Amino acid sequence: MIVEREDSALLLAEVDRFARERVAAATARAETPIGAAVLEQLSQEAAALGLLSTATGESGFGIWEHVDHAGAMAFNIGALTQLGRANAGVAFAWHRTALARWVAGQLALELDAASLLGTTLVSTGHYGLARTSVARWLKSAALHGDEVALLADWLDRGAHATVVVAPHAWRTLLWPVWSDGRIAWQLAHRDRLDVQPCRAQHGLDELAAFQVRDSSSTAELKRLDDAASRLIYGRTLKMDMIGLLAIAAGALVRGQELATDYAAIRTQGGKIIAGHPAVQRMLGDIEIARHHADVALASLARPIDDIDAGAVAATRVSAHALLCDAANQVVQVHGGIGYMCEAGPEKIVRDQNMLKLQAGGTREAHAFLAGWIGAFA
Amino acid sequence: MSAPTHLEGHLPADHPLSPRRQYRDLPLIGRSLANYPVKDLWETDFARLPGPLARQRRRARAFAEQHLVPVADELDLAAHLPAGECHPAALEVLREAGRQGWLSYFLPRPLGSMPWRALPYPPIWQCSLIVEEFSRACGGLMLLLSAHHLGAMPLLLSGNVRNILRHLGPVYRSCERGDPHLVAFAITEPGAGSDVEEGEGAARAHPGVVATSTTGGWLLNGRKCFISGGDLARTATVFAALEGEGMESWTCFYVDCAAPGFRVARTELKMGMRASGAAELEFTDLFVPHDRVIGGLRRGWAINRATLNASRIPVAAMGVGFARAATETALDFAKRYTLGGRALIHYQDVQLHLATMVAETRAIRSLVWQEARGAWQPRQLNASMCKFHATDRAQVVCEMAMDLLADHGGLHERKVEKIFRDVRLTRIFEGTNQINRLSLMEDWQDQLLDVDQHMGV
Ligand SMILES: Cc1cc2nc3c(=O)[nH]c(=O)nc-3n(C[C@H](O)[C@H](O)[C@H](O)COP(=O)(O)OP(=O)(O)OC[C@H]3O[C@@H](n4cnc5c(N)ncnc54)[C@H](O)[C@@H]3O)c2cc1C
Repeated sequence: MIVEREDSALLLAEVDRFARERVAAATARAETPIGAAVLEQLSQEAAALGLLSTATGESGFGIWEHVDHAGAMAFNIGALTQLGRANAGVAFAWHRTALARWVAGQLALELDAASLLGTTLVSTGHYGLARTSVARWLKSAALHGDEVALLADWLDRGAHATVVVAPHAWRTLLWPVWSDGRIAWQLAHRDRLDVQPCRAQHGLDELAAFQVRDSSSTAELKRLDDAASRLIYGRTLKMDMIGLLAIAAGALVRGQELATDYAAIRTQGGKIIAGHPAVQRMLGDIEIARHHADVALASLARPIDDIDAGAVAATRVSAHALLCDAANQVVQVHGGIGYMCEAGPEKIVRDQNMLKLQAGGTREAHAFLAGWIGAFA
Repeated sequence: MSAPTHLEGHLPADHPLSPRRQYRDLPLIGRSLANYPVKDLWETDFARLPGPLARQRRRARAFAEQHLVPVADELDLAAHLPAGECHPAALEVLREAGRQGWLSYFLPRPLGSMPWRALPYPPIWQCSLIVEEFSRACGGLMLLLSAHHLGAMPLLLSGNVRNILRHLGPVYRSCERGDPHLVAFAITEPGAGSDVEEGEGAARAHPGVVATSTTGGWLLNGRKCFISGGDLARTATVFAALEGEGMESWTCFYVDCAAPGFRVARTELKMGMRASGAAELEFTDLFVPHDRVIGGLRRGWAINRATLNASRIPVAAMGVGFARAATETALDFAKRYTLGGRALIHYQDVQLHLATMVAETRAIRSLVWQEARGAWQPRQLNASMCKFHATDRAQVVCEMAMDLLADHGGLHERKVEKIFRDVRLTRIFEGTNQINRLSLMEDWQDQLLDVDQHMGV
C-alpha cells in the first residue's frame, strides 16, 4: 500500500487528535504514572484507530506497518513524535510492540493475535553497539576472529542479562541472537526465561524494567541466509533508532510548550522571566534542539532501505545529546518547581535520558560509526 | 581466572619500558624528584589538608558508609509520606548523626562538636569536606543533614553571642543527645525565588511574608515554599518584611515550629533528594517574641546574602560528592562488566571516558577546596562561581556515567540514575546557576565599571 505525503498528513492529524485527547489526557498527572490497565485500554483504542495492529502482515496503516516508501516513513515518524509529545512511555511501548510485529512479519513468525502489548522487542545485545563489529558485519566486511567472538558474546542471551524496558505484563520477547556467524532471531516466552524485575527505573514510568536471561535456550531460532539476516537486522536497528529519536523529539515538543508557557507567566526580577536574556538563552537552546531533531527526522522520512544506518547512528548521537540538554533547560526555566514531579519537566528529562540509553545508548555509536566507515575493531 | 597484570593497551609495570618501577632505582636526586608513591586518589588528597580537617573527612566517610549507604535506596524508593511524618530509617540516621556531632559542627566544644584543632580553619572548609562525603553516599540524606546547618547559619552570622548561646546552644545539645532538633532556612516564597537571591529582583519584589508589630513581638503571615527539612524542623530562620515596607526591611525571625499559627501545608514529591522533605510553610498570625529577632530589624537581607555566600561553597561540594559517586560507580561497572570476554576497562574508549570523568571530578574538588580554604569571609563572587561551575560540571560527569553504563544506566540497581536525579537539584537551589552567574558579575561590578582599571582574573 502506497501512502502519499498528503495522505500521511491527514492520518497524522487523526493521530494528533488521539494523542492529545486520549493519551495526553490519560497521562496528564506526571507524578502518578498510569497503571497497566490504563495502558491496555489506551492500546485498545490505538488499535481501534488503526495505529496498532495485532496482525503481523501489512494489513492496515499502523505504526511500522509500512517502511518502504517516504509517505509511510513520514507517518511512522510523525505518529511517534505526536505520541511522544503526549507521553514518552506509552509511545515507547507502542513503538517496540509495533516493531516486534514488523520483525515477526518479516520472519513469518506468528505472534499472539489477542494481545496487543504481549510482545516486545530488543534490537541490540546486552551492552552498547558491539563496538565496530556489528557495523562491519552489516557492511559485509570480512570479520576477524575477535570480532566474531565479540558479536557472539554481545548477543549471548544466556551468559549476560539483557535489560528490557516494557509494559509490566509482556509475554514474549523478540530479540536477535548470534548463530552460525550471523544474526538469527528468537521469540522467547517469558515463562521460559529467567526474568528479574527491577526496581523503578529512571524514566518511562508507565513501563517496567527487567533483566532477562535465557539460561535454557529452548526458544526456537529463526535463522536466515546471510543477505536476509543483514537486511532485516539493519532495518530493525534503523527503525528502532529512528523511533526512539521521534519519541524523544515529541517529548521535547511538550517540554518546549511547558517552558514557553511558564516563562510567559512567571515574574521574577521585576518582569516576566521570558524577558531575561538568561531565560531567552535557555528557550533558544530548546528551540535549537527541536529544530535539529525536526531536520534530522525529516531527512529520515525515506524508504527504509534508502536510509544509511551510519547516518541514523550519527544523527542519534547529536540529536539525543541536544534533546537531553534541552529537556534540562526546560527544568531550569521552571526553577524549583521544575524539580517537582507534579509539574512535568523533570519527567521529560528522565524520559529523554532513558530514550538515549536504549538500543545500546549513544556512547558506543562512535565506534559503530568508525566500523561503518571501515575502521577495524 | 588470574587477575590481569596490566590494562590492555598498556605495558605491565615490570616491563623494561614501563618507567614507574624504575624511578626508585634512579640516583638519589633523580629518585627524590621523580619517584612517587601510588596511592588511592582520594587518599592522596589528605596531603592537601590540615590534620584536624583530614580526620573529620575520614570520620565523615566512615559515618556515611556505615549509616547513609545502607538506607539510601530504601529512602529513595519509599512512598511519599504525609507532611510531618519521618521515615523510621531517616529518623535513625538523624539521631545517630546528632550523637556523632554531624548536626553541631559549626561551633567547638563545649558548645558544639567541632574539634578544637579545627578552629584555625574556616568552618566552610570543614563543612565542604563533610558534605562531599555525605553526598557521595546519599543525596537525600546529605540534604536532610546539611539544610540544618543552613538554617542555623543566620544565628551564627548575627554575630550575637547571646543568640548563639540562647538559641544555637540548645539546638546543638539536643542533637548531641540523640534528640535531633533541626533548624530550617526559609527565604523562598511562592512569588519570590530568584528575587530573594539577588538584589535587582528583591528591589522590585512584593514581600509575601509580612511581620506586623504586636505587644511583645511580631505576628508573621504568609507562605514560604520548597523549604528543605521544613517538615521536620523544630525551629526555622524565617525572613519577613516589616508591614508596609519593602524587601529592604527584611528581618530574620527565629520561629518555633510548634507555635500556634505555624503549619506545614505540604511537602513536595521531588525528582530526587527524596530522603529530604521540601515543605511549604504557612504562617497565620504566628507570634515571634522580640528576643527571637535575629541580628536586628532590617538586617535580614544582609544576613540572607551572607548565609548564601557561606552555603554556596558546600553546595558546590555536593556536586563534587555526586560526581565522585558517579565516577566511582562507573569505574566499578567498567572493572566488572565484560563484553567480548574482556572487562570494559580494557577498552581504550572506556579508558578515555573514565579519565575525563576523573579529571572533571578532581578539578571541581580542587576548585571547592581552593575557595573553601580561604572562606573566612566567603566572597560572593568566589562562592557563586564555585557553586555554578562545580554543579554544572558535576551533572556532566553523572551523564557520562549513565552513558558509560548504556542500556544499564537507567536501572535503579546500578545507582547512577539516582545520583543523576540528586545532582540535578544542585543547579537549581541556593540560586539557580543563572542567578549565581549574575551574582558573580554583581560582586565584580566596581572593577568592571572602571574602564581604565586593569583587571586580573
Ligand atoms: C528541592 C528544593 C529545596 C529547596 N530548599 C530551600 C530551602 O531550604 N530554603 C529556601 O528558602 N529555599 C529553598 N529552595 C528554593 C530555591 O532556592 C529556589 O527554587 C531557587 O532559588 C529558584 O527560585 P524559583 O524556584 O522561584 O525559580 P524562579 O526564580 O522563578 O526562576 C525561574 C527561572 O527564571 C530565571 N530567573 C529568575 N530571575 C531572573 C533574573 N532576574 N535574571 C535572569 N534570570 C532569572 C531563573 O534562573 C530560572 O531559570 C529549594 C528548592 C528546591 C527545588
